[in-house]
Amino acid sequence: MTVAPAPVKERIRRVPEVLTPDRLRTIVAFVAAIAVFGIGEILHPGFGSAESVKAILLTASFVGFVAAGQTFVVLVGGIDLSVPWVLNAGAILVVTTSLGQDGRASWAVLLTLAMGLGFGLVNGLAVAFLAVPAVVITLAMGGVAQGLTLGLSQGLTCSSCASYAPPVIRHAVTGEALGIPGGLFLWLGIALLMTFVLGYTTFGRRVYAIGNNAEASFLAGVNVRLVTVVLYMLSGMFAAFAGITLAAYGGQASLGMGDPYLFQSIAAVVIGGVSILGGRGNYLGSTAGSITLVALVTLLLAENMPDWGRDVVYGGVILAILLLYGREKTAV
Amino acid sequence: MQQAPLLLSFAILAGTFGVYAGLFVSNQHHFLTPFEGQSIVNTAVPLVFAAVGQTVVVLTRGLDLSVGGVMALTNTIVASNMHSSTGSMVAWSLIGLAIGAGAGLVNGCLIAFGRLQPILVTLATLSIYSGLAIKVLPEPGGSIPIEYTKFMANVNGPWGLIYVAGLLLVWFVFRRTPFGVAVYAIGNDQAAARASGIKVRLVKVGAYVFAGTLFSAGALFFSATTLGGDATAFDPFILTSIAAVVLGGISFFGGRGSAVGAVAGAFALTLVTPLLFQANVNQLYTDAFQGLFLVLAVVLAGLVGRLVSART
Repeated sequence: MTVAPAPVKERIRRVPEVLTPDRLRTIVAFVAAIAVFGIGEILHPGFGSAESVKAILLTASFVGFVAAGQTFVVLVGGIDLSVPWVLNAGAILVVTTSLGQDGRASWAVLLTLAMGLGFGLVNGLAVAFLAVPAVVITLAMGGVAQGLTLGLSQGLTCSSCASYAPPVIRHAVTGEALGIPGGLFLWLGIALLMTFVLGYTTFGRRVYAIGNNAEASFLAGVNVRLVTVVLYMLSGMFAAFAGITLAAYGGQASLGMGDPYLFQSIAAVVIGGVSILGGRGNYLGSTAGSITLVALVTLLLAENMPDWGRDVVYGGVILAILLLYGREKTAV
Repeated sequence: MQQAPLLLSFAILAGTFGVYAGLFVSNQHHFLTPFEGQSIVNTAVPLVFAAVGQTVVVLTRGLDLSVGGVMALTNTIVASNMHSSTGSMVAWSLIGLAIGAGAGLVNGCLIAFGRLQPILVTLATLSIYSGLAIKVLPEPGGSIPIEYTKFMANVNGPWGLIYVAGLLLVWFVFRRTPFGVAVYAIGNDQAAARASGIKVRLVKVGAYVFAGTLFSAGALFFSATTLGGDATAFDPFILTSIAAVVLGGISFFGGRGSAVGAVAGAFALTLVTPLLFQANVNQLYTDAFQGLFLVLAVVLAGLVGRLVSART
């Protein structure tokens, strides 16, 4: 009678080595993305064409940039609600400081990224050192970013607000090499970097350790506060970076351009299988989530879905995935 | 000592009011007239209702980000349907409250029975409710009968305070009902609450339904004072309702605090806009100062918390 369990145990041990639940979720997210393209091609021939896929991927890359930062903070059980206005501030700051001149571009980009890091620093310090709930402080800093953006740009009526993004930045995002837009190379680079940092560095291990059990990782010698602050700073920086690329893509900055990216970045992270309770998931999943979400919304727009429908779809997708993946284990 | 956060919230309100009144007197050379009082109260009432609703869910260790969507949906539906007959005004007011209760029911069921995180659920439903509000009223418009405005918000004085008083009365009754006691018990220790026979999931759903109803009540008053519908006018309430709760000294870890503090916090936040106006600061900075107010409040609360825990 005691002999029977042995083979079962062996089988359980062998399967997860290849297909851990985390990897499975990432694969599912990519399959979902491909499925959306497949369905799109059937409903609208040409939806899956190279040109269309290229355009959708480029749009998804902006979500992917914001989602990179969001992935970091979600992995330690946090959330960043300040991204829409940090992004918007970034887009406006880069055009107003560069004034469309290539010579000023590098300084403008550095200044904008520093601005994002600054907002993230305040978020991170409050979360790590004062135990302020992430929702509260990031919402507050989002408000500060919004007010400062509106006030300093005089509601985007300032003389330099109509400036275009410098050609060199625009070329880096929209210019094509080997038929692929520069924005996608940027995204590929960030995806590789994120995967390397999270999967193969001490820093990455510490992120997962904190997400699984902050107290245990503190006792194991991880500087929990420092890592947390760095993660929120990176989230702010990625939001500002997305702002730069969006200004480059559209040519100019506008008010409210960051608004969709709160829901999109969180939906992308959730679809990608990153556990909202922290400690599980990876950036590849979030990239797949970004692609799935943008492809789905593009398809629905092609199906003549009105604007308001997009908001409902974002909410519905987040809820559906949460019900699949995000349920807390403890029975209430 | 237990009343310390409450006293702090009143100190913040008194300080904000003092600065505002001081600036006003030095600019205008006379004291506040009933007009200023009425205008401040009418602006504050919707936020007061939203903040008390937010308090109820925060007490259960939850959070409701969908407040902006619930208020927008109530406002747009009421503004596009209400007529000036008494029956229509009563009916659409009740329907408005039912919309809030229904939205809260959806939030509460997903959180309590779906075992999902309140932040994500209400973020998702915020998107859904806001989307539906835009469907109801794609452009700002609709109309609210003038009779409704006269009844809800008398223009001759700060009569809105009657609603605040009524709300506080509801709050004091609520705290003494088994439901109110259960809300506090869940926030303090969910497992202990369950062990002592409290139906945790039902109480949580109830808290979100109660909150949603209060959000809609605030939206009805907002509709009466703005005379129309606007699906995009309610996003600021997400930040301000949470800020009012923080300023009111209600703990985000549940079970501690009183809606009285949130009411004081709501008034303090409402004073930010007229204060900036008197200080000659561009109104575009309002969000920045309200956000900064919230940052300072949480940082102060965090520092005080560290000092207190360091001593014990």
